[in-house]
Amino acid sequence: MPRDRSDEDRYRRSSDHSRRHHERRDERKSHHESHRERSSYSERSQREDYERHDSSSRRRDSNHRHRYDESSSRYDDTKHEYRKEREDGTRNKIKSSSRSSPERHRERRPSRFSDLHVRKPSWNFYGYTSDDIKDAEKLQKERDTSTSNSGGTVISTGLRASSAFTGSSSNQNLEHQDRTQEEMKRTDKQRSEEQGKPETETSSVAWSFDWDRHRYELDKLFFDDDGVLKRGSSDYGDFWSFFERYQSFQSKKQARLGSHKAKKTEEDKHAKTGKLKLPRTFDKRHSINLEMTVPSKHTLKSYSHVTASGEEKDELTSERVLEFKKVLLLYLGFNQKQQFNKVVKLRKDQCNLPIAKYRETIVEAVRKNSVVIVAGDTGCGKSTQVPQYLMSAGFDSVAVTQPRRIACISLAKRVGYETLHEYGSQVGYQIRFETTKTQATKLLFLTEGLLLRQLQLDPVLSQYSVLILDEVHERHLHGDFLLGVLRCMMEQRDDLKLVLMSATININLFSNYFKDAPVIQVPGRLYPIQVEYVPIKESEQGSKSERLDARPYLRIMQRIDHKYPDSERGDLLVFLSGVSEISSVVEAAKMYASQTNRWIVLPLHSSLSVAEQDKAFDISPEGVRKCIVSTNIAETSVTIDGVRFIVDSGKVKEMNYNSQAKMQQLQEFWISRASSEQRKGRAGRTGPGVCFRLYGEDDYDAFQAYSTPEIQRVPLDSLLLQMVALGLKRPREFPFIEAPPANSIENSITFLKEQGALSEKEKLTPVGRMLSQLPVDVVIGKMLIMGTIFKMIDPVLSIAAALSVQSPFTSRAHRDHDAMSARKSLESDHGDPFTLLNAYDEWIQMKASGGSSSRKWCKRRGLEEQRFYEMSKLKKQFKELLDTNNLLGMKDARREYSSLERQSRNRERKRLRELKRKTQNSSKKRKLLKLENEDFDDSDEDEESDDDASKLQDIQFKLSHDVTEMEAKSNMNRSLLNREINLLKVILCSGLYPQLAIADDCNSYRKESDQVFHTKAKPFVVLHPTGIFATNPDVLEPPDGDTLPEETTGKRGALSAKHQLLSYVSLLETNKPYLMNTMRVPALQTMLLYARSLDTNQQCTRLIVDEWLEFCFADSEAAEDILPVVLHLRATWIKVLEMRLKESQRSLNFGAADLRVVHLERLLARKLAEYLSSHVEYTMRKLGATDLQHLYIGSSGGLLKSSDDEFFSTFSKDSEPHPTKGGWKVTDFMTYGW
Amino acid sequence: MDAEKEGKRRSFECSSCQFSSPYDYFGKRPGFLKSIVLLEEAYVMKDPFTPENRHLTLGGHCSECNKPVCVGKDCSIFYTRRFCIDCVMENLEEFPKEVQQELNKKDKG
Repeated sequence: MPRDRSDEDRYRRSSDHSRRHHERRDERKSHHESHRERSSYSERSQREDYERHDSSSRRRDSNHRHRYDESSSRYDDTKHEYRKEREDGTRNKIKSSSRSSPERHRERRPSRFSDLHVRKPSWNFYGYTSDDIKDAEKLQKERDTSTSNSGGTVISTGLRASSAFTGSSSNQNLEHQDRTQEEMKRTDKQRSEEQGKPETETSSVAWSFDWDRHRYELDKLFFDDDGVLKRGSSDYGDFWSFFERYQSFQSKKQARLGSHKAKKTEEDKHAKTGKLKLPRTFDKRHSINLEMTVPSKHTLKSYSHVTASGEEKDELTSERVLEFKKVLLLYLGFNQKQQFNKVVKLRKDQCNLPIAKYRETIVEAVRKNSVVIVAGDTGCGKSTQVPQYLMSAGFDSVAVTQPRRIACISLAKRVGYETLHEYGSQVGYQIRFETTKTQATKLLFLTEGLLLRQLQLDPVLSQYSVLILDEVHERHLHGDFLLGVLRCMMEQRDDLKLVLMSATININLFSNYFKDAPVIQVPGRLYPIQVEYVPIKESEQGSKSERLDARPYLRIMQRIDHKYPDSERGDLLVFLSGVSEISSVVEAAKMYASQTNRWIVLPLHSSLSVAEQDKAFDISPEGVRKCIVSTNIAETSVTIDGVRFIVDSGKVKEMNYNSQAKMQQLQEFWISRASSEQRKGRAGRTGPGVCFRLYGEDDYDAFQAYSTPEIQRVPLDSLLLQMVALGLKRPREFPFIEAPPANSIENSITFLKEQGALSEKEKLTPVGRMLSQLPVDVVIGKMLIMGTIFKMIDPVLSIAAALSVQSPFTSRAHRDHDAMSARKSLESDHGDPFTLLNAYDEWIQMKASGGSSSRKWCKRRGLEEQRFYEMSKLKKQFKELLDTNNLLGMKDARREYSSLERQSRNRERKRLRELKRKTQNSSKKRKLLKLENEDFDDSDEDEESDDDASKLQDIQFKLSHDVTEMEAKSNMNRSLLNREINLLKVILCSGLYPQLAIADDCNSYRKESDQVFHTKAKPFVVLHPTGIFATNPDVLEPPDGDTLPEETTGKRGALSAKHQLLSYVSLLETNKPYLMNTMRVPALQTMLLYARSLDTNQQCTRLIVDEWLEFCFADSEAAEDILPVVLHLRATWIKVLEMRLKESQRSLNFGAADLRVVHLERLLARKLAEYLSSHVEYTMRKLGATDLQHLYIGSSGGLLKSSDDEFFSTFSKDSEPHPTKGGWKVTDFMTYGW
Repeated sequence: MDAEKEGKRRSFECSSCQFSSPYDYFGKRPGFLKSIVLLEEAYVMKDPFTPENRHLTLGGHCSECNKPVCVGKDCSIFYTRRFCIDCVMENLEEFPKEVQQELNKKDKG
């Protein structure tokens, strides 16, 4: 049995080969003495890597993954079992083909099939080991070059394959061809003798057969909709590459065996002997436990006639179909093994997690206690495993909260995967705009904020029986509040189980808060990290205003270069406090990198575009390290693998809130010891690491132990509103785990009262109720509500959405001159909110016209498209919320889609499903970075590779939004009349008030200098350089006009109808206090509408507004024109709002009341428009401190109510003297005649 | 399919390596597969790694001793029928040498 012998030979050879391989590896190992370190490093990175991509995505991404393997192969010298099995071949392959010509990998090949060539061979099948693949590789390489020009079908044809195999000499080729043809004839002859005996060894069918020519037919036979594999699936592609290799192996074998091949006797083949009655002759087929029902016997028969016709050489005969089927079966059998190993591996990994040992302890503790704390550090597996433990212990309806949305999605995916979807759709997630929650969902990952919202509808969260709060140590505002709410709730629900999960930070705080709840401590899985303190020299520290000195950072890069050979992988992560620090270090580090060619420098912070952020996850080429320069975003939110070195500046910029000035302050601080440890830990995730701390050990000891929790440094307006809405009676006494500053609470309560959300008795008003349901800041919420009263809801929705998401302008947007000029047409000199509106509307137009080009459109203008998608979702949500509260009045008649539109929507839906499937497991592709990393050269690549993801978003967007309708609305927005713009401004100000600023008298209104403004609480603030007015200050220039005679006012000032104020969305102090998102508004009209106090003199020529600004009129007539109108408007407005909100309480009842509201609304809108365009000349100035002292006559000098003030008496017949100011209180906001 | 309704799938456990996993179907013709039949009565689940309708054989019963065994190479082999590794070792000489070699290789590895 020569044939068998040679197979045996093969086995031996292959095992020899792999032994040699081992030896070689061992040798190499001893060369590097740091191998111990490296090996654990690589082991870990492999594991991580495996976890991140399940193997199906692995195969799908094989192009990219392959590059990764290449780059990591040196570091990963010591392979581990599973990897070895799969990749012994690969590495050979890489060595022979790709490593020699790395450029090749970057080429985009035209054909889908050609991609198969760089696929990782996902097989090692029955003795076809690396040896074979190596040859097959060589063969492929040659074929690659020979067919690269044609670019079309590259799947090998047997003839070409075998010829290529024997060598390049054409002579040899011919000889060989002859031989194979001869052979073919011979085997065919043999076969015809064997006719009618299926189960025979058919692998002798000529392998030089051109299978590819029959691909269509084969597809129909095997891969139809009901077929074994779906055409176009990843397995289908896999199979063909398997088939190709099988072919080339067979043809090689045939060549080797040549004419020696002898046929066995029939009896021998089918003899079943012994107790087990097994066939004595080995056939791989017998090892496969599958059979296919396709093609049917009938179909098969239709192929059998071909054999007889004598033209069988090129035709698909029934034998060949059977042969094909056999290979397919072998593939399926092999595939089954692979998949099963995956399951086993998954189980093994789970068992190896540090937390696995605590499984019983945790389950028991949860059974016995109502509150349990699980404390474990990075990598212990608590987030993924604890929910699973509880699920399988029989707990259902488990909710797990996460501080970040992205974690909800990835954890739900991961847990679903780890449980092999054991629970089917029972594992889901829910975040702001997305949910996979169904009736069947029993384990839900959701954000802390969302759970709080659910509390409003379900005050005891009766839908859950177990609540797991993850990452409680991060101490986010919502997390802290949840802890408090839940502690109170535990008293009402003794059946509820609460599990707090935390890093091993400040555990006692949590345990004590919950009456000494039991703590289960789980060790993390961190590798040892060597810490080195490298304090920065005095001379390099620099002052606050100077740029950060990058030299200490460069020195560490140098040290790494000197000390660690570039064969040892491991990237560097630098923690800096802020964006400007990052850019100084990145700039310097890039210079260094260009000299050494050993570094790729990448910034990482949240104002980068998503694509730029994703680069931090990409892989550097061999011998090159990534240097990621990051804010504290990389401390917890973003986890980058493969980091071995940390440089910690010890600084952080934290947002603080000055509740007095309502100003956010971004200030630099030393970090806490806890966060310093967290930064350090980032180096030890995949192997032992080194952490360089750019401060002294004594500095470290002086750090505060823990970071300041968010609740102590952010505005509490929304939180307090929510607390009142939840019915918490005494918000000041709420048992927070650590209470916020008392004045912060007081200021927020005052603010809510001013906004009309709380009554004087601190009860929720109808406006407050509405605001508490809107998932946005009170300021934005107020705009939305006011917007519903006037028929201007669409632009208000857009602006509100735009102000609620991160700015769509990337950090590049304000540096790149091309982007700036491309954006010019979007800019509105009315202010930033209008620029945002224009940008959004223009984007909608792009979407409606073409679609996919919108991404490019954004990129060119320095905009992040992601933000527009978010805005669309948010806008939709706002609209739905307002609609369910009956605030939108008459609903837009729902537009019917035309049949054509419906058809195209159906098509889109189908495409969406396909794309979803395609991108399902490959959400994060890791690409190979290029050494010369310039911003411009990879733009095209980005566009191409992210194509699927962006297409997916595009379709999703189009399906969930009616783009045609949006386009129509955006068209309307673009042609807003001046009058409408003024109305829109007033609506926006209803929320923004009192966030207004007045210009300083000495402003130059030239671009070169800062323009100074004053708010009531904070004088001397400047325009933020990214705002529209910073580049166009001239539109803010105060009007010229006659000055009033000194004796009327005592002060100078131009008389004009065009005075302006600046409204702003927020006040942010970094190195200076900046006004953010500013908009210019007509001064008098805006102030009169919203002022909390309006005080006039007896002649009504002088108006003091909010004890801040002074308006003077030329004569009392002007005032008498406008003041009654204001009083009327304000009264009507309040009335309409009340009616509207009352309406909203009532369920869908469009009765007479509704008509009255509509009527009043129309009246109000008309009057308001008239008022806004009224031409009244006045002067404006800010009152100084001395003015304020002598402002009022005081209560003592009371005046008698004069008889000629009829127009006020109509409003308030029983007006009374003002207690402090003197004069008469006309309304609760107006005082007359002080 | 009652078990499925209850939300929990039945579980298969290997008698040799303690591997256990829920399964969707036991038998030769899983309903969700259109053109594949199994040559043994097997414990089968829907392949959790692919969105397509594929199956994954977890294990079966040894055709000699009827013990439930997983398809892992250390627990059983399939050669025309399923054999648990013990039964294979007992009758090793009855298997073709290719199979024997494969097993030997495993032992070494």
